[in-house]
Amino acid sequence: MQGSTSTGEFVFEAVEADPVSSVLYDEHVKLTSKSRIAAFAGYLMPLWYSSIAEEHRAVRERAGLFDCTHMGVLEVSGDEAAGFLDAVTTNEVGGLKVGRARYSYILDAAGNVLDDIIIYRRGEDNFMVVVNAANEPKIQSYLRGLLAGRIVIETGRADRKLGLHPTIRDMRAGDRSADRRVDIALQGPATIDTLAKLADDASLAECVAGLKSFAFVEGRLAGIDSLICRTGYTGAKIGVELFVDPEHAATLWNRILEAGKPLGVLPCGLGARDSLRIEAGLPLYGHELGGKLRISPFAAGYGWAVKLGKEFFIGKAAMARVATTYDMEVARLELPATRGVRPVRPHDAVLGEDGRCVGWVLSAAKVQEQQYALAYVDRAAAGAGKVLGVYYLARSASQVEQGRKQAVEKGQKLAADLAGTVVSRFAKY
Amino acid sequence: MAVVEGLLYTKDHEWAKVAGDTATVGITDYAQEQLGELVFVELPATGKEFGVHKELAVVESSKAASDVYSPVAGEVTEVNTELETKPELINEDCYRTGWICKLAITDKKSLDALMDSKQYEEYLETL
Repeated sequence: MQGSTSTGEFVFEAVEADPVSSVLYDEHVKLTSKSRIAAFAGYLMPLWYSSIAEEHRAVRERAGLFDCTHMGVLEVSGDEAAGFLDAVTTNEVGGLKVGRARYSYILDAAGNVLDDIIIYRRGEDNFMVVVNAANEPKIQSYLRGLLAGRIVIETGRADRKLGLHPTIRDMRAGDRSADRRVDIALQGPATIDTLAKLADDASLAECVAGLKSFAFVEGRLAGIDSLICRTGYTGAKIGVELFVDPEHAATLWNRILEAGKPLGVLPCGLGARDSLRIEAGLPLYGHELGGKLRISPFAAGYGWAVKLGKEFFIGKAAMARVATTYDMEVARLELPATRGVRPVRPHDAVLGEDGRCVGWVLSAAKVQEQQYALAYVDRAAAGAGKVLGVYYLARSASQVEQGRKQAVEKGQKLAADLAGTVVSRFAKY
Repeated sequence: MAVVEGLLYTKDHEWAKVAGDTATVGITDYAQEQLGELVFVELPATGKEFGVHKELAVVESSKAASDVYSPVAGEVTEVNTELETKPELINEDCYRTGWICKLAITDKKSLDALMDSKQYEEYLETL
């Protein structure tokens, strides 16, 4: 079922389907065993090739190559495209320069986050919008519903309609004649040197080296037409996402691994993708954003991407309320992970100085001798430098027998199992 | 995927090495491979009794916590305390230094349901 409720909430029920192979599946099975390939967001994706820790280190010290071909890639084009994106997303789109990208949110009218996205402006009237794999069917349905008038939005204007009709196209599908794109990410300090070996001419290599964060350029790598974007999801200061035709994705994947081999470039799976983004403080939709806790962009640390000064965007009224009233936020915690320390996990309780529960762990990852947790905690408890406790929830029947809790409510007083420190919300490496 | 002859196996990828009335228990190469780098092992208490397929231990990788079920009915007589500081022993050598505990078998019939190495290999083929 899908549709918009009277409260403006967009309801979408995904169709259950068997996972499909990623475009790069054949390459993955050459590099890792099938037992390390799992279904994620409807796609069969590699969890790791060498080890999560080794791949994580490769991205921080050299570079890592990621299959992101599962990410949704939509084209929004036509002379009403910018106006449409300004109306359906929270960040400012009209003023975005060609060749630049911007992080933004799609909300429903009730202010629920439907997805976090990146909008790339390829031309005055041509945008590429990258959405989360798990949300792609929902976002397509939402945007098409808005265009077709199936979902009616109160804009505050007399006609009560969006009245903007750009063309929306799934860029991963279509025949060969279409401009098709899938995402492959190369992240880490050796990115530029690796790409320089593949750039068809020296000026492109130079251009890529000089790209600012969230800027992109179109050119040929290993003879393959590529959109080279200084964006990524690892917290690496240097890294790119490459958007290429799905038919050429495997070739580019292999050429990058070949060229990067002497530089220590490794293929990286979902495991390292997760530990890298957690270490960097980047949210994952459904965990640090939206989800059961309905975490808002403000609470996630991205209030700047919600432009309340814009005349209109869907969910604006709700966001204006949230901006002044939110009382919990996402914090990044650093905890020890020396030998014998149990890893913290989602739903574990976060305790304040007095032992009272101030929130919960959302995601956590071990990075060498540290573990990083992203937690949803009372804003008063979230200042950098504060020491917070963690209480492990029961993870086995015997722990339950011994009285360990399976869930903790806010305010409950408990003894901490482990202490951690709140660190800066984000980190770049 | 290494499978050792002479051991008995469960569908949940535990192994048991039976000598007289004692079973040494661990997880298989397939299991450790699936879990990835282990960072924590919760061992059972010595003296505690377990029925077949009861939660005996918990192994945690950086990504998941998994139960280890008792392959046989028995009482814990010894645990591999080395795993408390070196959980990676399970990754390095799951059939020898990575053993988890020893059980005094209380019900020998519980052994009948286990697979031998050949049957376990065939079972792995089906996964």
